[in-house]
Amino acid sequence: MNNFLLYIILASLLHSAAAQPETGSLAGSVMDTKTREPLSGVNIILRKTIRGTVTDSRGNFKLKGIPAGSYDVTCSLIGYTSDTLRQLTIQPEQELRLEVQLTQAPIQAEQVVVTAGRREQSLQEVPVSVSIVSSKMIADHVSVTLDDALRYVPGVNMMQDQVNIRGSSGYSRGVGSRVLILIDGLPYITGDTGEIPWETIPMFQVDRIEVVKGAGSALYGSSALGGVVNVITKEIGDAPEFRFRLFSGLYSRPAYTGWDWSKKNRWNTGGFLSYADRIGSFGYLVSVSRMTDESYRENDLYQRWGVYSKLNYNFSPYQSATVSTNIQWRSHGEFFWWKSLNEATRPADSQLGGEVNSARGSVSFAYKEILSEKLFYSLKAIYFGNFWQDGFYGHVNNTSAAHSAQVDIQATSETSPQNTLTGGIVANYDRIFSDIFGSHPGAGAGFYIQDEFALHPSLKLTAGFRYDWQRIWKELFASPAATSPSQLNPKIGLVVTASPTTTLRASYGQGFRYPSMSELFTSVNTGLSSITIAPNDSLKPERSVSFEVGGSQWLGERFFFDAAFFQNDFYDLIEGGVKPTQFVIQFNNVTRARIRGFELGMKADMLKRLINADISYTYIDPLDLSQNTVLKFRPRHLFYASLTAHYWQWQLETNYRYVSRIEAIDENLVRLAPIIDGNVRVPCSVVDVGLTYNLTNMGLPLNVGFTIKNLTNYYYVELLGNLSPVRTYYLSVESAW
Amino acid sequence: MRFFPLIMVCVVLLSCDGGLAPLPPAEPGFSGTITFAPGSWPSADSLVNLYLVASKIYPLDSAKVLNGLFSVPPEIFLYPDLTKSLPFFVDSISYSFPLPPGTYKYVGVIQQVSSDLLNLGVRVFRVVGYYDDASNRISPSNIIINDNNHVNNINIRVDFRHPPPQPF
Repeated sequence: MNNFLLYIILASLLHSAAAQPETGSLAGSVMDTKTREPLSGVNIILRKTIRGTVTDSRGNFKLKGIPAGSYDVTCSLIGYTSDTLRQLTIQPEQELRLEVQLTQAPIQAEQVVVTAGRREQSLQEVPVSVSIVSSKMIADHVSVTLDDALRYVPGVNMMQDQVNIRGSSGYSRGVGSRVLILIDGLPYITGDTGEIPWETIPMFQVDRIEVVKGAGSALYGSSALGGVVNVITKEIGDAPEFRFRLFSGLYSRPAYTGWDWSKKNRWNTGGFLSYADRIGSFGYLVSVSRMTDESYRENDLYQRWGVYSKLNYNFSPYQSATVSTNIQWRSHGEFFWWKSLNEATRPADSQLGGEVNSARGSVSFAYKEILSEKLFYSLKAIYFGNFWQDGFYGHVNNTSAAHSAQVDIQATSETSPQNTLTGGIVANYDRIFSDIFGSHPGAGAGFYIQDEFALHPSLKLTAGFRYDWQRIWKELFASPAATSPSQLNPKIGLVVTASPTTTLRASYGQGFRYPSMSELFTSVNTGLSSITIAPNDSLKPERSVSFEVGGSQWLGERFFFDAAFFQNDFYDLIEGGVKPTQFVIQFNNVTRARIRGFELGMKADMLKRLINADISYTYIDPLDLSQNTVLKFRPRHLFYASLTAHYWQWQLETNYRYVSRIEAIDENLVRLAPIIDGNVRVPCSVVDVGLTYNLTNMGLPLNVGFTIKNLTNYYYVELLGNLSPVRTYYLSVESAW
Repeated sequence: MRFFPLIMVCVVLLSCDGGLAPLPPAEPGFSGTITFAPGSWPSADSLVNLYLVASKIYPLDSAKVLNGLFSVPPEIFLYPDLTKSLPFFVDSISYSFPLPPGTYKYVGVIQQVSSDLLNLGVRVFRVVGYYDDASNRISPSNIIINDNNHVNNINIRVDFRHPPPQPF
C-alpha cells in the first residue's frame, strides 16, 4: 500500500515536471517614488496564478519558471499604493526586467485582505471593519509575541494575554477565547482550554496580521464571537535569503523599594534566525528562535525555543502545495497575582516555585489550485498538539495532552463579473488526555457558503451562512459527555462606493463559541487558595449577534477618516463564577450582554510625508443585561495615537495608548482567592518610543533600532493583581541578505 | 494638523503621573469593599444615613449603638462619622476605616431609618449586611487589629431586601 502511494506521488511529480512548458523569468527592483530608496518586503504577485515572491532588503525580486505568456503583475506593500502592471509578456528562456516605483499612501485603501471574505479583496470592498498590522510594525515595536503586536490595533485591548475586540472577551484567564485566531486561514486554538497559544505564533515569519471586527462565525465557525485575527505568514521567495533579528531588553529598576525584589538588573533577550531558498519548483524555509525573559517580577522567568519550517512545491503556476511545521518548547514560572500592592512584583506565597512546562506544535498542509480564470479551490489541514505540565519545585501536579485536527476544503468561483461564490466544508477532531479535564474525544463538521454580487457598479452585497455540528463523548461514539446544539449563523453585508473618495458599509453577522473541554470538565483544587473548580457538562454554546454601519472618507490625498457604529449582543455568555458559600468556581451560561459603541479613526500625512499620524478612538458601552450593571472587565474608552517621522535613513516612532479604568470586576474572585489589593486599578496610559536607522544605503543590509517601551514608567494593571511591564529599553538589530 | 506633535507631547506628559504606587504605611484599622445587591436599594425617603459600624460589643441594638458611640472610651465606631453618610445608589464602595487597636466583634453596615437619634425608644438603625469570614457563614466574625496593623479585604455584601436578622 505504501509503495503504491509512493508510486502515485512520484508519478504526479514526474508528470508535472514532464508537462512543464517553456518558461521564462521575471526580475526587477522596487523603490519609493519620492525617496528612491529600495523597498523590501514588497509582495510581487502574478495575477491569476499562485506564483508570487517578495523583494529582499535591496528591493530586488526574481520569479523563475514562469510559462511563456501574458500576465498581470501586482506589487503591493502596506503603507504604499499598490501597482498592477498589465499584459506583461514572458518569453521562453528570457528574463523580463521591471523597475517599479511605489508611492506612499497614508491609508490602507489599496491593500488586499483575505480574511473578511475568505478570498482576496481590496480593503475598501469589505463590509466590516478590518485593521492590518504589518511585519514592519511588528519589528518597529519589538513585538515578540502576537498579543503584544495587537496592543495598538483600533478597538482592540489586551487583558494581559486575553484579546478583546470591542469589549468582546472580558476576562477568563485565556480559557475559551471569544476571538478566533487563524494562521494562514486555519484555526489555532488549543484543544483543551480553547485558549490562544500566543507565544507559539512564529512572529518572525509574519507577513501581516488582519483583524476583522465583529462576529465571524458565518465563515469561520466556533470562537469567532467578537472577531477574527488572521496571521498570514511570508511566502518563500525565489532568491535565497538569510535573515536574523536579535534584541535585548533591560527592565528599569522599580521606583519603589518594596517592588525591587531582585536587587539586580533584569534582562529580556532573544533572537530569530531563518534561511529560505528555492530550487526549481521546490522552496524551503527554516527558522529557529530563542527567547529568555528574566522578567521584572519574581517567579516569572520565561524561556522558549522555537523551530518553524515551510516547504513549498509549485507543480505549475496554477498548483502549489505547502507544508508548515511549528514547534515551541516553553518553560514559564507561575505568577497568577501579586502578594499585595506593596509587593507588586512578588507572587502570592502559594505560587512561589510554581512553573509550567509545555511543548506545542502544529503541522499544516495547504494545496491550492487555480482550475480556470474563474475557479479556484484549496485544501487545508492542520494538526495542533498541546502538551503541558505544571507543578512546584520540580514536582509535577497536573499534565494535559490535547490533539486537534481540522480539514477545510474551499472553492471560490467568479460565476460572472458581478458575482463571486465562495463555499466550503470543514471537519475537526479533538482528543484530550488530562488530569484535570478528563479524557474525551470530540468531533465536529460544518459547511459554509457566501455569495458576493454587485447590484450596481457602486453597490456590492454579500450574503452567506455556515452550519456547524459538534459532539464530545466520554469515549469515542459512546454516549455523549456533552451535547451542544448545532449552529446556523448567517451574515449579510453591503458596501456602497458613493464616490471615489467615499465608501459606506453595513453588516450583520452572528457568532458562537462551543464551550471548551476545560470549561465543561475541569475538576480540580486550584492549590492557590481554598477554591476548587467544578465541572459543568451542561454548558451551552455562547452566541453573539453583531451589527455595524460605517464609512470612510478621503480628504485630498493626505487625510483619511473612518467611522463605525456597532452593536454586539451576547447570549448565554459563559462566566467562571465563584459560589461564595461553597468555595467553588464553576462555568455557567449566565450572562446576557449588549456592547454598543463607536470607533473613529484618522490617518494623515504631514509636512510632505515626513510625518505620518494614525489616531483612533473607540467608545464602548458594555452592559450586563442580566444584572442591569456594567459588564465586568471591559474598558469604556480606548485611545491610540501613533506618530512616525522619517528623515533620511532615520525613523522616529511614538505610540501612545490609553485604556480607561476597568469599571467592574469580579469582587468575589478578589475576596475569595484572595487577591490582596486586587481591586486596585488605574487607567492604562503608556507611551512607547522607537528610533531606527537603516544602513542599507551604506552597503550594509542592516536595521538598528532603539526602543523604549513604557517611556514614563507608568505603573498599571491590565489584569487583577498583575503589574504590567515597567519601562524597558530595547536594542534590536535586523538584517536580511 | 500642525498641532499634532504638540498633542503627542501633551499625552506623554499626561502619562507621567506614575500610576499605581505602594500604599502608605499602614494606619490601624481595616479596609475593603461594600457591594450592594443589584436593584435592592430602597426608596430615597427611607434612607436617612448609611454607616459602616465596628463594635467591640455584641450583640447590639439601636440603643447600644448610640450608647457605645458616646461611651468613654468608645466601644463602637462609625464610618463615616455621625454627621456624614456612605453614598447611596451605588454598586460598590471601597473604604478604609481607621480604628484604635482591639478586637471588633461585629462589623456591619447599618441603615439609619429615623432622624430622631435621641429617642432611644425608636428603632433608629437596622443592619443591612455584616462581615463574616470564609470559615463562618452564619454569624459575624471577629476582626483583630494590633498596633500598626491594617487588615485588608474586609468585604461586605449588602442586600436591602434580605437583611440579616434584627436586632443585630
